[in-house]
Amino acid sequence: MRKVIVLGTLALLCTVLVAGAQAGKQATVVKLKFATYVWQPTTVAANKSIVESWNKAHPGIQVEIVPVDVNSVHDKLLTSFVGGTAADVIHDEAADIAGFTQQGYLANLTPLIPKTLKQSIPKDLWATTNFGGKITGVPSLLQTYNIFANMEILKSAGIKAPTLAKPWTWAQFRANAKKLTTSNRYGVCWGLRSPVAVVQTMSLNYGGQFFYLKNGKWTFEFGAKDQNVIKQMHDMIHVDKSVDPAATGLSGSAVLPAFFGGKCAMTVAGNFTAQSMILQGPRGFNWAMFPLLKGQTQQQVANPQTYSISEQSKNKQSAMFFLAYLVNKQNLAKLALGDWLIPANPEAGKLARKSTKRAGSWKIATESVVHFRKGNWVSLAAYPRWKAEVAQPAFVQYLRGSSSLQELEKSLDDGWNRVRG
Amino acid sequence: MIVTARPKRTKSFQYVVLFGYLVFLGFPLLWMLSMSFKGPRELVELYPSFIPEDFTFENYRTALTEDDHQLVRNGINSLKVAVVTALLTTMIGLPAAYVLARRRGVITRLGLGWILISQMFPLILIIIPLFLLLRDLKLTNSHIGLVLVYVVWALPFILFMLYTYVRAIPPDLEEAATVDGATRFQILIGIIAPLLLPGIVVTTLFAFITAWNEFFFALVILESPDLTTLPLRLAQYVGIEGVVRFGPLAAAALLATVPSLLLFVFIQRWLTGGLLSGAVKG
Repeated sequence: MRKVIVLGTLALLCTVLVAGAQAGKQATVVKLKFATYVWQPTTVAANKSIVESWNKAHPGIQVEIVPVDVNSVHDKLLTSFVGGTAADVIHDEAADIAGFTQQGYLANLTPLIPKTLKQSIPKDLWATTNFGGKITGVPSLLQTYNIFANMEILKSAGIKAPTLAKPWTWAQFRANAKKLTTSNRYGVCWGLRSPVAVVQTMSLNYGGQFFYLKNGKWTFEFGAKDQNVIKQMHDMIHVDKSVDPAATGLSGSAVLPAFFGGKCAMTVAGNFTAQSMILQGPRGFNWAMFPLLKGQTQQQVANPQTYSISEQSKNKQSAMFFLAYLVNKQNLAKLALGDWLIPANPEAGKLARKSTKRAGSWKIATESVVHFRKGNWVSLAAYPRWKAEVAQPAFVQYLRGSSSLQELEKSLDDGWNRVRG
Repeated sequence: MIVTARPKRTKSFQYVVLFGYLVFLGFPLLWMLSMSFKGPRELVELYPSFIPEDFTFENYRTALTEDDHQLVRNGINSLKVAVVTALLTTMIGLPAAYVLARRRGVITRLGLGWILISQMFPLILIIIPLFLLLRDLKLTNSHIGLVLVYVVWALPFILFMLYTYVRAIPPDLEEAATVDGATRFQILIGIIAPLLLPGIVVTTLFAFITAWNEFFFALVILESPDLTTLPLRLAQYVGIEGVVRFGPLAAAALLATVPSLLLFVFIQRWLTGGLLSGAVKG
């Protein structure tokens, strides 16, 4: 009997100890949710492998991916913020997090960011996620707008490709587009269905910022430097007639069949279009991505993808550890290669270049990092609404030739006064 | 002869018009079928052909196997959610519609008015309060929460449809059954329900398709990839700045259409009316 009691007591003790150990083990595991909108299969796979390797190496901080539809990021995030169910780590973009920062949904990362991470990304890119001294996002991947050319057509017209040292100016681009336009071919097919991003990004070539701080208030202005790029685009369509007017109603990727089919010699699109050139271009298609166009400068506005930490997160420090791992140069290079976007960390750019055969377009893309600058509009909370409701239709009307430059200015200005609140 | 020639011509013309209409309706589906068998290069040809030149099953393979067969899992989720929604909506809608149709009074009139008003609120207006409600009930990121929302969303329309169907059934039949000693429940199940079969089929189908195709609620309520439904999966083929993975999208969209098509094929005989004819003389 005594034996039974002793054995029973021992068994009970063991069970309690094991249960206690298990509970202790579970209590120390931090669980993080990571909401991300990666959608290309290559990037999804890269993202998954990064998270898996993290989870393996850090049993105390386990990360779970929460996929977000790339075309509904804002709605999804807003609902989860309002509902108090936001993920700990949030993937978004600089122009979108301005509003969320103002509403207090994103944590101030300034005291949490490790020194090495801070130093690995250029200051101009940190500026895009710095809202009044508070950094609420870590810049990760970016895009530029570049010219893609059908090199066979250019060669037969005797036009040489620009180089990094000698990029084309807007004047050269216009002249060459005109030269390449024939009775059955346009110089350029430019998908301008949603033209605001490309116009505002490239307007920085002439210093055009559209929004300027006057007496402590953000004011919309449409002076010569802001008008320059959109006016040149308009004139290429309506005066030079070197841009296919039918293509201007399409998206950047929808004009590719015409480009591949030789109906136009060049197209202007995001640098990530290089991926479509390789995967979808006819076999042996001779194409090239040109360096950034030059106005007064080659500067383009940086609107990077960002990683933020939710203010609602109870594990901000752990989230920052994971975030720093996510954007280390090896991982950022993997993500960049998947999406064909430019890593904010130049060292990651070098790694990406080394690991691809398509070094030409990658060299041009990664060398562009030095030309990125903060666009004032990126930090304005009312900007996304102004862009969608005011600028998009107004720019389309002007480029279509349905309104004058003065009318465009008036609708943009009136619209800003209406939406800024 | 002269008398019959004209109707023949009219009939031929009707067939031509009908054929044209069918082509018009079916063309997107046929084009999707064609795209689903094309390779990435052929998909962006300037002059695309209807018959694929480099016929490939690669898009189907990609769609079905990508992300550990995510499409299949999402398809099962959609089926589960849509079937339960359709059954629940009908089970609630049928007795409710019967009462609304047969019991006249202030309460039923108010009830019908309230149902009508509830249809006036746009989706975007209710999504955040609804999400908060589900969060408090701990039903976000769950199929139960999603089914609840779908049932509530589809119920008003279904109630109205069934209400009109019930109104069309002559009360004489029920009176005869009452005389024979049948209870209300027996009348509903034994007499009304069989006569309402075409209506029940139509409304069940409506509830099923509403839940099968729904995107926005699922987007907001569901988080885990293992719980997401087909529309969310299909949206993942559409990327930023108009970049679309057309091949896998066409294949996946076609596969997603199959259950609805099959359902229509199997139940179309119930959809054609006429079951009621002859139920009551005169």
